[in-house]
Amino acid sequence: MDIAIKTTGLTKAFQGKEIVSGLNMTVKKGEIYGLLGPNGAGKTTLMKMLLNLVKPTAGEIHILGETLTHSSFELLKRMGNIIEYPIFYEKLSAFDNLVLHCEYMGYYKQEEIHETIELVGLKNIDNKPVKEFSLGMKQRLGIARAILTRPELLILDEPINGLDPSGIKEIRNLFQMLTKQYGITLLISSHILGEIEQLADTIGIINKGQLIKEISMDDIREQNTEYIELVTPHQRKACYVLEELLAISNYKVVDDSTIRIYDANVTQTAISKELILNDIEIESINRKVKNLEEYFLDLVGTSTV
Amino acid sequence: MFNLIRLEMKKESLKWYGLGAIIANLLILVLIIPIQYDEKITLDEMFVILGALIRAVFIVFAAVLLSKLIIDEYRSKTIYLMYTYPIQRKKLIAAKLLLAGTLTFITIAISSVFVATVYSIAHNMFQLSTEEIPVQRLLLEIMSMLKFAIAAAGASLIPLYFGLRKRSVSATIISSLLIVAVLSQSNPWLPIADNMYVALAFAAIGVLIAFWTIRNVDKMDAI
Repeated sequence: MDIAIKTTGLTKAFQGKEIVSGLNMTVKKGEIYGLLGPNGAGKTTLMKMLLNLVKPTAGEIHILGETLTHSSFELLKRMGNIIEYPIFYEKLSAFDNLVLHCEYMGYYKQEEIHETIELVGLKNIDNKPVKEFSLGMKQRLGIARAILTRPELLILDEPINGLDPSGIKEIRNLFQMLTKQYGITLLISSHILGEIEQLADTIGIINKGQLIKEISMDDIREQNTEYIELVTPHQRKACYVLEELLAISNYKVVDDSTIRIYDANVTQTAISKELILNDIEIESINRKVKNLEEYFLDLVGTSTV
Repeated sequence: MFNLIRLEMKKESLKWYGLGAIIANLLILVLIIPIQYDEKITLDEMFVILGALIRAVFIVFAAVLLSKLIIDEYRSKTIYLMYTYPIQRKKLIAAKLLLAGTLTFITIAISSVFVATVYSIAHNMFQLSTEEIPVQRLLLEIMSMLKFAIAAAGASLIPLYFGLRKRSVSATIISSLLIVAVLSQSNPWLPIADNMYVALAFAAIGVLIAFWTIRNVDKMDAI
């Protein structure tokens, strides 16, 4: 599979303190890679290094088949970005900002500006200077600017900050469309775990400057089936059935009516079938999956979030 | 490079500069003519004062220009946006410095020609002193002022060093005022204003600072 970004032993120290240390990350082409981590974990510094804004102290970065050096700049033509928060020439209008962007990027299909403004759902912008925009509008404009030239790689730091729920949904659809239609690779960081959960193909969890886990969303879903929760008024009889007839010993009685079964080898259907055969009423039976948030907190530890 | 300079002018409207330059020229004229009424100043001194005044004003203008083109871009972080474009950073900064330097030179040159000519005409017409300024003399003075204009354009880049250290607009402008204070000295103990060597030395420092800034920009972290 083609690789969009690969870092090896990437390290950045500011005044002797390592912000990013020995980070190895692999982003495949055409996927959405979600970067998760508590505040100050080094996400933004990492993204700045990928854009050559910050020069690594040690380690290597390969992007789109090229190795990044201190003076690389041509590569930037193939990348779009939002870092920290979208920055504009505040006195200029949204349109003028995008025209400038095209000129600096060396992109000459300026007729696509209006199309892109529509695509990100920016409305009523007229010729207002950008300084009068709300955070949500700036965020949308930032996304418009990042995707305007249809780059191969998008590096977006907190792109959904400041958007309302329906805005988040629109932008999520837009991102998915971009990867599907144009094959764009997305590297996204976010605090909103639920968003990343719905969006990303692969997750990288970063803490204290290190990538502590890199895993595909599918694997997370598969690995993290926690238990089957059974609610029944006949708790004692149910326990008997579980233990004697189904030979399940790994279960826990939570309260008078709830039992949690941790045994992964027994399917939900088998359990309910056996219970019904033994005339035990089932109020509910559910498979509980650990969501990304719990997974994340397990790895990073609650105190740091 | 010209394209980059054009884009710089698109980002930062320079109307204030043109308007300011016109007002400054008129003020210099209004200020200079009464001086001669009041005090007995020789023509030589008069032209030195004229030249020094024009250079002083536009070196400070240049500091404002540098603040807007470079320091402000660092302060508003738009420079990071610039650095994510597929353009060499050196070129980006060089374009800004070239714009500031050239604009300063052109404005000082035009102002010198304008102010010196209007002054000479007024002088001859209203007989401000017993002497007369022949055209020959005027041309000679203008030529000398143009030479100083080149030097002043170089010196106008010195405030960049002080401004970039703390990314401070006030440091940029205050340092330009200090430079002006030194360069405009024309008292008998410290005749700097009409000393070409001192002017060139300042210009050399300014150009060195420009090169140093351009050279460093690739190594710098954009934080």
